[in-house]
Amino acid sequence: MALILLIMTAGPSFAHKVIVFAWVEDGNIYTQSSFGGKRKAKNCKIVVVDEKGTVVHKGMTDENGDHAFKIPKGVNSDLTINLEAGAGHKAHWLIAYDEISLPSDSSTTDAMTVKQNLEKGPSFFKILGGLGIIFLLAFVLKRFKRKSGVND
Amino acid sequence: MHISEGVLSGPVLASGAVVAVAGCAIGLKKIDYDRIVHVAMLSSAFFVASLIHVPVGVASVHLILNGIVGLLLGFAAFPAILVALLLQAVFFQYGGLTVLGANVVIMAVPAVLAHYLFLPLLGKSPKLTFGAGVLSGASAILFSSLLLSSALWFTDKHFFETCVLIVGANIPIMIIEGIVTGFCVAFLFKVYPEILPKKIN
Repeated sequence: MALILLIMTAGPSFAHKVIVFAWVEDGNIYTQSSFGGKRKAKNCKIVVVDEKGTVVHKGMTDENGDHAFKIPKGVNSDLTINLEAGAGHKAHWLIAYDEISLPSDSSTTDAMTVKQNLEKGPSFFKILGGLGIIFLLAFVLKRFKRKSGVND
Repeated sequence: MHISEGVLSGPVLASGAVVAVAGCAIGLKKIDYDRIVHVAMLSSAFFVASLIHVPVGVASVHLILNGIVGLLLGFAAFPAILVALLLQAVFFQYGGLTVLGANVVIMAVPAVLAHYLFLPLLGKSPKLTFGAGVLSGASAILFSSLLLSSALWFTDKHFFETCVLIVGANIPIMIIEGIVTGFCVAFLFKVYPEILPKKIN
């Protein structure tokens, strides 16, 4: 049973594209973490550090991959939100000091656009392009082997 | 199975890169001219396999296919996996460029091991061929999980906990990959035996 529970709750370990996104609103910093698309990064560690690398906040994401906290007192630099999703999965998001001291709607909108782009799945053209590159490289290798007469 | 950027220490990244380059050099030298297309085909399969997500409970897993790539290609699995991982990093943001060498080692070394361990079973009979596929698919994931744990151990020193978590989390993938690889190899044995290594054709 313990093993089954471990497997069922270990979603983060299976994924590989890790995204953390954060914005400032009403004196709070809100974070959203996912593995792309609708796969939320649940119960993952959030570590916030300032420019000097000093940890100013630690927390865990909830069942929706969200975590919010008050802007730590005495912060006078950019903040990096680090998401540690276990098994080698890590991501970060930078919040500029300007955003903390003077939050504006436009910065949140820009950040939302970046987040939506990150969460998009790979396009058909990218997949097709990748396959094309693989066969192009195979063609180049074939030419090279033919020219050099290497045929092990 | 892809390690993200910024997780591993410098020495682990460097070691991974050196082993990956060495493996690729051996692989490129060993690729038979007539089998280059097969290498490209299996590299393509590896490249797109990570996009196929299978729901398991509340989580979803994706195929990796390093077992079948290794079983059929041997050392040529190194360049095949390198190219596929590089393209996944560039196009899908899976893993990353600095960690590419380590990711190649984590996926290609078990693939090559599967080749040397289970190649003798290939082509003996349909059942043994299926068995070779199942064992290759499952063992490649198991060894990849152990290598991934080792790479992380050099960074955070919690080997046992990390190992249990990673191997436990990958058990569904081992089962799924074993079955998928078994059926793929058995199918290829029937309809396209030319793709199997020359020793057994």
